[in-house]
Order: sequence, then structure tokens, then C-alpha cells
Amino acid sequence: MNGVLNISASPHVRDRWTTGYIMTAVILALLPAAVVGVIVNGINALLVIIVAVACAVGTEFIFTKLTHGPDSWKNGSAAVTGLLLALSLSPAVPLYIPAVGSIFAILVVKMCFGGLGKNFLNPALAGRCFALISFGKAMTMFGLDGVSSATPIAELMSGRAVNVTKMFLGTGGGVIGSSIVALLIGGLVLWAMDIIHGEICFAVLGGFTVTLGLFGGQGFDPHYLLAHLCGGGVVMGAFFMATDYATSPVSKLGQLTYGLIIGVLGALFRIFGTAADSFSYSIIIGNLFVPLIDTYVIPKPFAYRRSAIALQNGEPKVPFWKKIPKPVVALTVITLVAGVALSGVFSLTKDTIDAQKEAAAAESYRAVCPGAESFETTVTVHNKLSELNGGVYGTSFGRAYINAAVVGKDAGGNIVGYVVSATSAEGYDGNVTISVGIQPDGTVTGISFTELHETPGMGMRCDEPEFRDQFNGRLVTAFKVLKDGGGTKPEEIDSVSGATTTSKAVVNAVNAGLDFWANYMKGGE
Amino acid sequence: MNMTFRGGVHPKGNKELSRNKALREMRPAGEMVFPLAQHIGKPAKPVVKKGDEVLMGQKIGEPDGFISAAVISSCSGKVKAIEKRRTISGAMQECVVIENDGLFTPAADWIKRRDAAKMTNEEIVAAVKEAGVVGLGGAGFPTYVKLMPKNPDAIKFVIANGAECEPYITCNDQMMRSMADGIVEGLEVTLRLFKNAEGVIAIEDNKPEAIAAMQKAAEGKKGIRVLPLHTKYPQGGERSLISVIAGIDFPVAKLPADVGCIVDNVGTLYAIGRAVLYGEPLFTHVLTVTGDAISEPENFIVHDGTLMTELIEACGGIKEGVTVKKALSGGPMMGVSIANLEVPVVKTTNAITLLGRDAVEDSHKHMTGCLRCGRCTTVCPQGLLPQLMAEAIHVGDWERFEKKLYGLDCIACGSCTYVCPAKRPLTQIFKETKAEILALKRAKAGGAK
Repeated sequence: MNGVLNISASPHVRDRWTTGYIMTAVILALLPAAVVGVIVNGINALLVIIVAVACAVGTEFIFTKLTHGPDSWKNGSAAVTGLLLALSLSPAVPLYIPAVGSIFAILVVKMCFGGLGKNFLNPALAGRCFALISFGKAMTMFGLDGVSSATPIAELMSGRAVNVTKMFLGTGGGVIGSSIVALLIGGLVLWAMDIIHGEICFAVLGGFTVTLGLFGGQGFDPHYLLAHLCGGGVVMGAFFMATDYATSPVSKLGQLTYGLIIGVLGALFRIFGTAADSFSYSIIIGNLFVPLIDTYVIPKPFAYRRSAIALQNGEPKVPFWKKIPKPVVALTVITLVAGVALSGVFSLTKDTIDAQKEAAAAESYRAVCPGAESFETTVTVHNKLSELNGGVYGTSFGRAYINAAVVGKDAGGNIVGYVVSATSAEGYDGNVTISVGIQPDGTVTGISFTELHETPGMGMRCDEPEFRDQFNGRLVTAFKVLKDGGGTKPEEIDSVSGATTTSKAVVNAVNAGLDFWANYMKGGE
Repeated sequence: MNMTFRGGVHPKGNKELSRNKALREMRPAGEMVFPLAQHIGKPAKPVVKKGDEVLMGQKIGEPDGFISAAVISSCSGKVKAIEKRRTISGAMQECVVIENDGLFTPAADWIKRRDAAKMTNEEIVAAVKEAGVVGLGGAGFPTYVKLMPKNPDAIKFVIANGAECEPYITCNDQMMRSMADGIVEGLEVTLRLFKNAEGVIAIEDNKPEAIAAMQKAAEGKKGIRVLPLHTKYPQGGERSLISVIAGIDFPVAKLPADVGCIVDNVGTLYAIGRAVLYGEPLFTHVLTVTGDAISEPENFIVHDGTLMTELIEACGGIKEGVTVKKALSGGPMMGVSIANLEVPVVKTTNAITLLGRDAVEDSHKHMTGCLRCGRCTTVCPQGLLPQLMAEAIHVGDWERFEKKLYGLDCIACGSCTYVCPAKRPLTQIFKETKAEILALKRAKAGGAK
């Protein structure tokens, strides 16, 4: 025989899949989202991606060289971490953020715990959360050229309408990898290739949707659910982050448990929390459950399952539906009934609630437009509001929105004034909504609050006459807040002391209303 | 899609190398070596001594104890020695060495057919025992023991295993094509022992000619059917077959007979038929010589005791310009790698596979830490969690390995190692750990006595 024969234990063949093959597949699956992100957000997004990937791979390279470890930087897992981190960042972040995030992710979360497969948190997410905590302001800077704009999920969390189509396509703002359609393509391909476990992604999405439907207060309203699913990294989290091998359970049963924990937590954070980034935290918390799940949620081998043992003993085969434990059936029925009842109550009461809202609005209109018997909207206003489609109004009022604008008429049909309902989303604790009454010549009649939940004794004092009535009878194009009081000019409004943010929000809303009136209503019928 | 079991893998079959090569008998020359342990259980006791003249088909080793099997000479000639010789495993084992006279003079003519209907069950089992029949699928369990379960009436299925799921091997495929009637005869004889049983001939659907041939042979035979199965490894494992056919998964501690099944390789059934109906002992069997390093892969009817080198020469030797990296007795999934090819084939050797590339060696440069990707869990046909088992072994927690993760139920099929993208030697450490745990248990049981 020519040559020396190798001896080894069986099997003597190996699948062509390698660690590098899997990592390459994941990178390719993330590429569509990265490409859309760069096209939509421009060159800075590309730079963020390059810096993140380079720092991740570089850190692992240096670490392995210094520790004389195996050349693990070659297998592509560091590049996956860097890419994932970049896609979960705003395109407007300064470039030191992806660098610091990647270095933290690889050095602290991955390599210090033993490298590939040993990390207990998803490195990319941990890097992101690290950056969020360390550079809060820079991390939440969205929109380029220093103009701050809210991500769709932040809008959604503050109760604003969002454009689901734009979110789906990835043109609605937010992080670099916000194109749901691109992420879905990549994620579903990975699932079809058996690289990621369907048990995890669909348990996450299912748990999230059902919890949101049951406890979100809006029932199973498709627009509401889709908006939440498309925003805040749910899809990226479900397909690319929760499915990270090292930080997810090994057994199918464990994977379902883990997916549900993340989905339910994510939804609860959305419903009861205020942070737009909450989904990252729910995955991180899910990661922490994994060692526990892997220790206790262990499915028995086929031969030791109850049905198999019955068959071994010659007992007849039990039909599938009889094997489902009774509590599971009962819980499912209760959940379904509750869900249906909630959506039913929601749709039944929706009209009443709307009517009450309208009545409340009408009351506030009357308060700021005395003498009016009826309020009507106009074609111009209607068209403009449709065009805005719930989006931010103007460029100099921060995140301000126009809700409605009406013309007040007396019994004889004569115009006695105008009312514009405007919201600023930049209150200290969410939205500030006011109705501003305007006389035909532009003089402010007065303002009235329809939504204000600021700090009692501070922001809430905006609704006291001392602050509120400052607007009355003034004829200006825009007001201005004086932080330290002592204003003398007509456009100057004294801030409520200790509540500058709320005061500014009120003034921004009033200014937006005045601007809207001047552009679309002034002199009209 | 045809039926199949849960889990499993799809390794490249490579059966096209030899699948259409018709069986031909290979008559060896020169010295023949017969190890006395060609089966599971106690080695046989030699019944000849140096200098004795023996005939082809003559018994040279007698079963020793309940689980043991006879050893039969496959040539005529003179006993040269009874001594330790190197065998497939690489170990030196007690062997009967016969100088082949090249005449192959048979001990009997084995032409007159006996009527199995007139034989009692005991006579049938005795004929199988006398003929030295063992499981030819690879394990080599003495067949007569298998034919005597505690409760024969509880047997519901006699499964003829023609799945042949191991890559490269095609001898059973060819055997089913050309010896279909003999296999069905053997199955009918076996079914005589189990009055409540149905005969199922299970074949993977990558062998359409064999399926057709077996269907033709089984036509009109009551209680026998041919079942095509989805092609997937380890479809031919007895547990996989029982899971599909009887729908029962059972622990490794139980035998197929405990759940009402008898599984025999088609070659074994053929040997049962020959032994019972014609009194012909088992001294030839089918074997594939294949692999990318072989000039002309072939399917042979070989005489036990033939040296492997002789069979390789009969295939035209090693391919020009190829260096053999690995030689296997059997296929690449469960076969044993051999260091020295100057060893005799035994009853259970169903293939000699010579490979010019060693995938195990090549895989070392791709080895990384465990990713925890869970591919091993998906493919395990037993429903085990290889990833957690390996982790438990790594931290030395054998208690968890055995009790919580049922590590002893690993059948060492190799599926987990095959799919592992991190190229970790899972099956190997499971086999080692299992052996150590079982040895400890035996030591404990011995100490308790």
C-alpha cells in the first residue's frame, strides 16, 4: 500500500458546512438590509458599518494574537457582530460609537468569556446597550445634519400615527437596518436554510403580537400590531439577534420557551414602558435565562416520552389531540375568549370614545373661541392634513403636529374665530396638546389644554392662569419663551419656573398652530 | 415522499461508483484466515487441529456458550496453524489458518431442498445455529438467538433490512436485484416461527431496481410486503426501521423483540433460507469494494477469510496517481478505519472503502469552538441533545450525561459529528464515555458480588 493510512473514529465523512460557511450566510442575509440602509441614509451609514465591522474583527485579531489563541477572527463571527451592531445604530451617530460598541462587544462580552459560543449575552446587543448607556444623547440622535427627528417607534410610543408602509420599506427613519422587507428576506432565507431556528423567531414574533393584542388596549387592530412589529428592531431582533446560537437554548422546547419570554417581555415593555429601545433589553434579559433553560428544559429522547413508553407496553396509540394537557387547553380557550372579548369591547367602545373625544375637543374649542355656535373644517385644511398624514408639521417647532383646525361661526353663519388643535411631542413626559383660539385678525383669544400629563407642581402648572393666560389678546406671528421671566414684549412668554421643557413644548405647539392658521386659514371662509 | 424516521442526515451516497456492477464470485488463492470471533459474544472453540484436511463448508469452530456462533471454512485444504493473527480491528486474535488447495471441494452438494413445513421450530433454529449464521448488517449478532425471543407470538413484524443507507455500499442492492427469490424464501422461513408476524421488506428509494425485483419476488406471497423508504442515513438502523414500520421508539436497553419486531439484513435472511432449506452453511457473503481510490469498484460474492489485499487486486488495484489516505471496513459513516490491509474479511465485512482524501483530517483546519448551533440536536435519530451531552462530558458531569441527558442511548450513528459545522468529534467522545461508564458499572456489579 502506498503511504501511511489514517486511523480515526467513525464517521469518516463530514458535511461541507463549517463555522465560516454559517457566518458568511448570516452576513449575506444581512446585506439587503445594509444596502437599503446605505441607499436611504447615505454615506455616513456606510461609514458606520465599515467602522463597526473593522473594529470588531480587529479587536478579535489583536486579542487572539496577544493571547496566542486560535485564529478565530477568520471565521467571520466577529464580522457578524460588527455588522449587526452597525445595523442597530442610527446613521447619524458619530463614528466613535460603532468603534467603542464593537470593541466592547468583542473584547468584554465575547473574548473575555471564552470566545465563540461562550458569550452569555448577544455581543452586538450588549455593545449597543453599552453605547446607549454611555452616550445616551448621541445614540438617540436620528436624522442627519444635526436636525433631530424621532424614529417611527418613538412616535408610536408617544401615541402618534406612523406610516407603516414606510417602516416596512425602511424609508421611515430610524436605525440603519430598519428596512423590514430586507430583513425579512434575509431572515426567511436563513430559516429556510435551517441556519436559524424557526422555533425562536416565530415564538418571539408570536408572543410579542399576542401579548400586544391582549394587553395593548387596542385589541388585534392590524395597523397597530403591524406598526409595533415593524418598528423598534422587533424583526431584526427576532431573526438575527434572539437566534444567536451562543445565547439561545439548544433544545426545541427550550427555544420555544426562550422565544416566548423575549416576545412577551418586549410587548410588555412597549405597553407599560417609555423607552423606544426596549426590545434590545428584552432580548438581553432573554439571554440571561438561557443557562437556566438549558439546565431544566430538557426534552426526553424519543424513546422515553410518555407516548413512546405506552407504545412499548403495547397500549394503543393515543390521538394527538388527546395528548395535550388539559391546563393548556383551558388556558388557550381563556386567552382566546379574553382576546376576542377585548377586541370586541375595543371596537364597540371605539365610537363612544371617539364621540367623547370630539365632545371634549368641541368644549375646548368653545373655551378658546367664545361666541361660536358651530365649528367647521375647510377643504384647504382637510387637504393639508391629509398631506401631512400625521407627520411632523413645519421645521421650526420641533416635533409638533397639527391634529385639527376649524372655523368657528355664530348662529348667523359669521366667522367669529378659528381654532387649531396642535400637539408637541417634546413635553417632559410625552405629548402636550393644546387648542389655540385665534381671532380673524390673528390675535390669540386663549389656549386650552386637551392633553397634559407633566410633573405635578412643575410642568402641570402650565395649565394655571398665570402661565396660560399670557397668550391672551396678543397679536404676534410666533411666541418665544423666556427662561428667567421678566418678559415685556408681546411675543415673550415667561416660562413656568422649573418647567422650561414643558413651557417650550406649549409655546412650540401654539406657534405651530399660529403658523398653520397663517398659511392655510387666514382670510379664508 | 416515502416514510422515514425523525432526524437523520443526507451524506453524499457515492453509490454510482458500483451500483450497476453485477455480483461476481471471487475465489481466492493461497492462505485463508478465519478468526474465531467473527460475531458478538464468546469466540468459537476450534474443532480442527493443525494438519487436518478440511472441505469447503465444513465447521471449524463450535459455538461456545449461549451467545456465540459457529465458524465455517470457505475453502478446501489443510489446516496450517491455529494462532494469533492480525484482524480488521488491528488487534491480534486467535485464528484458524488454512492452506487453500484451490479446488473448493464442497462438504455437501446443498441442492436437495427440504420442506420447511415439515420442520419444527426447534429444527429450524438448530439449522440456523449449525450454519453459523450471524447478522450480516454489521453487528454480527448470532441469528439463532434472535430467532428465539421470550414470546414468539408477540412478534408483529419481521423486517427484512434492505435499506443500505451507508454511503458507497451497493452489495445489498445488487443482491436484491439478482437473489430476490432467495431473500423472500428466507423471510418466509423466518415468518414460520412467528405466527402473528408480517414480513416487511424495507428498501431506500434510491434503489428502484431492487424495489422492483423484490416486489416481483414477493408478489402473491401472503403476509409479505415491500416498503420503499425515504433515502436518509441512518434509515437502515434497526431502531429507525422499527420507528417507521411499527411506530415505536424504544430505549437502547430494550431489544427489538421486546417491542414485537425482528430485524434482519436481507443477506442474513438469504443465509437463513439456504441453511434451513438446503442445509448450506454461511461461508460466502456479498461485499462491495469501492471508494475514489479504487480503479474498478465491484460487488463481489466473497469467501470468508479472503485477504483484503486480494480483493483490492481483483478490482484492478489502486487508481493510478492516487495515494490512499484512509481504508475502511464498511462505509464512511460507521465503518472502521484499518491501518493494515493484510487482514481477512469476516462474515460481517460488507465493504472495503479506499479513500484518496480523509475528510476527518481535512476537517481539522475548520475546527472551532462549539457554536451551539443545534444542528446535532436536529439530526439525532434518538432525540438526544448531543451539544449538552458534550458539554456535560467536558465538565466531567457523567451523572448528568447518563441520567438527565440519556447519553447511554447514543447509538453512535455519527450523524451529529457529520453535521457539526465546528467539526467537533462528538460521536467519538460519546463512544468513549459510554464505554467508561459501562465498564465502571460492570466493575461495581462485580464488586457487589
